[in-house]
Amino acid sequence: MSAEENKQELLKAITRRHFFQQAGYGIGTLALSALLQESSLAPASAAPSDAGNPLGPKKPHFPAKAKNIIFLFMAGAPSQLDLFDPKPKLNQYNGQSIPEEFVQGERFAFIKGTPKLLGSPHTFQKQGKSGIEISHLLPHLATIIDDVALVRSLHTDQFNHAPAQIYMNTGTQLIGRPSMGSWLTYGLGSVNRDLPGFVVLLSGQNNPDGGKSCWSSGFLPTIYQGVEFRSQGDPILFVSNPEGMSVEVRRQSLDALHDLNQAHLGTVGDPEITTRIASYELAYRMQTSVPELIDISKEPAAIHERYGTEPGKASFANNCLLARRLVERGVRFVQLYHRGWDHHGEAQYDDLLTGLPRLCRETDQAAAALVWDLKQRGLLDSTLVVWGGEFGRTPMNEGRDGSKFLGRDHHPHAFSVWMAGGGVKPGTVVGSTDELGYNAAEDPVHVHDLHATILYLMGLDHTRLTYKFQGRNFRLTDVYGNVVHKLIA
Amino acid sequence: MISRGWIAGSLFFGSSVTMGSLLLAAALGRPEPPGKSVDYLRDVQPLLKAHCYQCHGVDQQSGGLRLDLKAAAMKGGAHGRAIVPGSSAQSLLLRRVLGQGGQPRMPLGFAPLAADQIALLRAWIDQGAQWPEGAALKKHWAYIKPVHVKPPKVHNTAWVRNPIDNFVLAKLEKLGLKPSPEAPKTVLIRRVYLDLIGLPPSVKEVDAFLADKSPNAYEKVVDRLLDNPHYGERWARPWLDLARYADTNGYEKDMRRTIWPYRDWVINAFNADMPYDAFTIEQIAGDLLPNATQSQKIATGFHRNTMYNDEGGVDREEQRWLTIVDRVGTTGSVWLGTTLACTQCHNHKYDPFMQKEFYQFFAFFDHCDEPELKVLTPEQEAKRRALQDEMDVLTLSIKQAGADKTRVASMNARLEDLKKQQETLSSTTTLVIQEKTDGQVPSTYMHIKGAYLNKGEKVTADVPAVLNKFPAGKPRNRLGLATWLVDPNNPLTARVEVNRIWETLFGRGIVETSEDFGTQGARPTHPELLDWLATEFVRRHWSRKAIQRLIVTSATYRQSSRVPPALLARDPNNALLARGPRFRMEAEMIRDVALSAAGLLSPKIGGPSVFPLQPDHIWNIPYNDDKWVTSPGEDRYRRSLYTFWRRTSPYPEFLTFDATSREFCTVRRIRTNTPLQALTTLNDPAFFEAARGLARRAMKEGGKDPAAQIAYAFRLCVARPPTRFEQTRLAALYANERKRYGADRKAAQQLTGGPPDQADLAETAAMTVVANVLLNLDETLTKE
Repeated sequence: MSAEENKQELLKAITRRHFFQQAGYGIGTLALSALLQESSLAPASAAPSDAGNPLGPKKPHFPAKAKNIIFLFMAGAPSQLDLFDPKPKLNQYNGQSIPEEFVQGERFAFIKGTPKLLGSPHTFQKQGKSGIEISHLLPHLATIIDDVALVRSLHTDQFNHAPAQIYMNTGTQLIGRPSMGSWLTYGLGSVNRDLPGFVVLLSGQNNPDGGKSCWSSGFLPTIYQGVEFRSQGDPILFVSNPEGMSVEVRRQSLDALHDLNQAHLGTVGDPEITTRIASYELAYRMQTSVPELIDISKEPAAIHERYGTEPGKASFANNCLLARRLVERGVRFVQLYHRGWDHHGEAQYDDLLTGLPRLCRETDQAAAALVWDLKQRGLLDSTLVVWGGEFGRTPMNEGRDGSKFLGRDHHPHAFSVWMAGGGVKPGTVVGSTDELGYNAAEDPVHVHDLHATILYLMGLDHTRLTYKFQGRNFRLTDVYGNVVHKLIA
Repeated sequence: MISRGWIAGSLFFGSSVTMGSLLLAAALGRPEPPGKSVDYLRDVQPLLKAHCYQCHGVDQQSGGLRLDLKAAAMKGGAHGRAIVPGSSAQSLLLRRVLGQGGQPRMPLGFAPLAADQIALLRAWIDQGAQWPEGAALKKHWAYIKPVHVKPPKVHNTAWVRNPIDNFVLAKLEKLGLKPSPEAPKTVLIRRVYLDLIGLPPSVKEVDAFLADKSPNAYEKVVDRLLDNPHYGERWARPWLDLARYADTNGYEKDMRRTIWPYRDWVINAFNADMPYDAFTIEQIAGDLLPNATQSQKIATGFHRNTMYNDEGGVDREEQRWLTIVDRVGTTGSVWLGTTLACTQCHNHKYDPFMQKEFYQFFAFFDHCDEPELKVLTPEQEAKRRALQDEMDVLTLSIKQAGADKTRVASMNARLEDLKKQQETLSSTTTLVIQEKTDGQVPSTYMHIKGAYLNKGEKVTADVPAVLNKFPAGKPRNRLGLATWLVDPNNPLTARVEVNRIWETLFGRGIVETSEDFGTQGARPTHPELLDWLATEFVRRHWSRKAIQRLIVTSATYRQSSRVPPALLARDPNNALLARGPRFRMEAEMIRDVALSAAGLLSPKIGGPSVFPLQPDHIWNIPYNDDKWVTSPGEDRYRRSLYTFWRRTSPYPEFLTFDATSREFCTVRRIRTNTPLQALTTLNDPAFFEAARGLARRAMKEGGKDPAAQIAYAFRLCVARPPTRFEQTRLAALYANERKRYGADRKAAQQLTGGPPDQADLAETAAMTVVANVLLNLDETLTKE
């Protein structure tokens, strides 16, 4: 055994011993058995339902197709016209002014005057048995395309990054509403008791434009907010003991803390103290389970090769592998953010010829590997993977201040996302756009519809998942949303 | 005080909200069991309103059915009679909520009604569906002006210290309950310190209180605390949540802004006990007051705390519009406890507010500029005046000098110099609101479905019709609006504020939903007490200190918070107030208490926001490489309300302990109890620094003997001395760790960062471990 393995064994031994010792202190046998429940790698179905624990697993409204979600949020808004939605007509009219009727009364973030149409400088090819046409920029996605359902007709109401990211996550541009992950953990709880039910992993240029509101619990209790796993410093904030404090010292100090709190509980009788005592024990369990979780170094070489992971590095690939490890442990909702898709073409770094391929290289391999890996482990059926950004990009060249670099402006009327696993119909395309790719044409899917569908796959009726706040029952989908049955297997 | 925990431990005590409120409902004797007489107004109308009106009300009559008017409801809809008096079996209303007849269950798209609600409807119909005429017109209690009620008579008059106690005790006596005994003195002094100044008492202050045997010893402490300058800091904190005060713009780049003079204005206003009416008027319309002072202009920063998106693609006019939408919603929440924000898109589904009224309210705010104000200290202001005087004299002299070119030139040069001096007097600015002076009347429009691009009818400034009339002769601008808010006829303003004070002290408002006094909000647990306090508030010239003094000197407040199992089962949320308040402190207070116990806390009040210890890599903002640089010197240990507040990435400890991002107005933080909180107070370097500080302080001030040092540290955290068990248990931990660290000097060195002069390394390490435990005691984190 290595020193690290020794340490982990020691931690586990201490943890177990400790919990048995506590049996006499009156936490209660029910709670004790719940605390003792071996949750690592536990299947969702085996979990008991316990009404007193807001994060304990809860029954869905109807049998769920998916149990977990991995949402790969491509912040900055990838260009659907260069990745997922081939438009021969657009290529044909490349360089011509867009017909006036398209842009009358339209508001653009940066485009001024009458812009010129921009065909894709990238080629598309049919892939897999399903023959779905995608860009050559995504060679790895091509290898799993038959597992993918591609939506080409998504549309939103917002065309600036922060409001649109918040919209994509909460169903409104208004700040203060719960995010999808919070709704799901509120509605379904989470199987793993040692880890948060909603985990956020960040990579790319920066944090997303919408900030922490993207994974905020809004008016739901903060236990449902997304917890960031960090790639630098403590993986979860403050999960490591202070320097010079060994695991044994921590355990002994927690034992003392427990005894003092227990004694005080006897004096004042406030059940909140019982909750606090259990919180500290869970914190300790988190301290022991997180290092094991984030240590990807022991994954086989073939896995590292497949994902393109390098232990210790901060990357989207590492986060994809971590995401798999998290859902394996029953974490309900894992959301990855990779920011940098904002390809306006102001300069070479953010244009369609250099910037966009770079972002594809940063993400394509690992995203495809994740789907492959989940599948080979038999987890894809119960895990829904979603890939997409906050809006799309214009069929017109932006040409800001006469820039010579090719780029596209923000575009809310049509964009693409792909989904895999978790009960979606594999190898399928839903919806289409008009000949220029300007508007959704067939089967338009609004963000609310996407939300309704995701909840549906998780066994939740989006009209029934409500929370009363300020006198009103709120929903993720507000008063909108229709399940897109064409997406569902 | 039950918060929502992460874990199973709470299972046995019904910690989940639903269970709690059910038990509470039972304890309060409602809802009435079916069989008893059902009252339409009390029982049925609220139910129909909450679950049916949305589709069968004024806006929409699905299936031709309308349930908010008697005649329409009795007539029924397209499918037949909804209500057949005397026969629930024949009433479609009941069949549909039960999901009978092969039709989808009502309410469509929402959770089915609870069994007791259905039972209520059934009983009502079977009892003849009594529906008093004109019932729909009855005003909700909160929209009726409160009247000064006479405190009720009670049997146990000896317990009563002031009229608050009459209201509380009368209810307890009616239910056959007794109040709890007075809290021990150490508990009481800590409670009132935390409540009034947000800091724990020092050991000396506790000793002085224990030694003071005079009958008004406690009242003396209260009066001293109300005069303490830290009082303003403590009470500014919740107000800053309401004001959505932050140090950045929010959204993507989330650039810094300077508006801390507004934060200091709030602190000063509390310290000066500025009457709530003036406090309101200055924040809403300080710039419109005659000869507005600098301070009154700074106060308008309240509504400059709105977010601002500086993404390149933002439509500036839409942004301005959204900002005003926020101001309307926030004003409604803060002063009226009303969800006006609902009416941006449609008439309020439950409360009598119309969509048009939203835009009429909007019109009050639609004529503002948003400048930066240069802020001068009194000294700078004196200097500015002196410079101005000299400039005025010079200007005059220049005119008189006429043809003397040399003299004019020299005077002009001097004038320029003075101007420059005046301009550079202060570099501090703050964001304010300034009414436009163009003399135009703004054009405000309704927006259909609340959409910016969808303009509707033109409207002019007015207030919601269901509330008090707009004061005659007042201008239809923000000043008029503010005057209307604090008009004694306004039914909500005083109630909403006293309720918030009550909530801050008791952990739960008399109206639990302090953000919503509407028909969907919680009913007050003590309606007469609420009204008495509200009218008393106005009668006492809107003095918050007067109301706070009244509350904290009541016998109700002074009760012990210990709870016997029987009382806990009867009233888990302490809605009946048969015991004192006990709940986990708010995020900022938890940090302040730790720093204070450690002797690290800086007493400095006001000034620019500061950067205490925060882990690296928390900020990583798009298009903005702003870095967190820890403040030097005492600014590292300032009170938490001075911590720089970045909206997209607030201070981690605050978020973990239920603070919000301050991107929008937060009326009530919901308390939770989670393992992330435990990790923070155990391991956050800022908290561990406090543990080190507490250990050193105990070793320095607590005597030579480790046992005495431990007891001293204990008292610094929770005011009372440890029990024998506590003392022994901590001594055992100390002995164990001293031994361990004696054998591992490297670890001891790391843990302590090096012992202070002369102190033993292993002892310092052991005491640091003990201090870390003490700062994590439930009692340390709790006001009890």
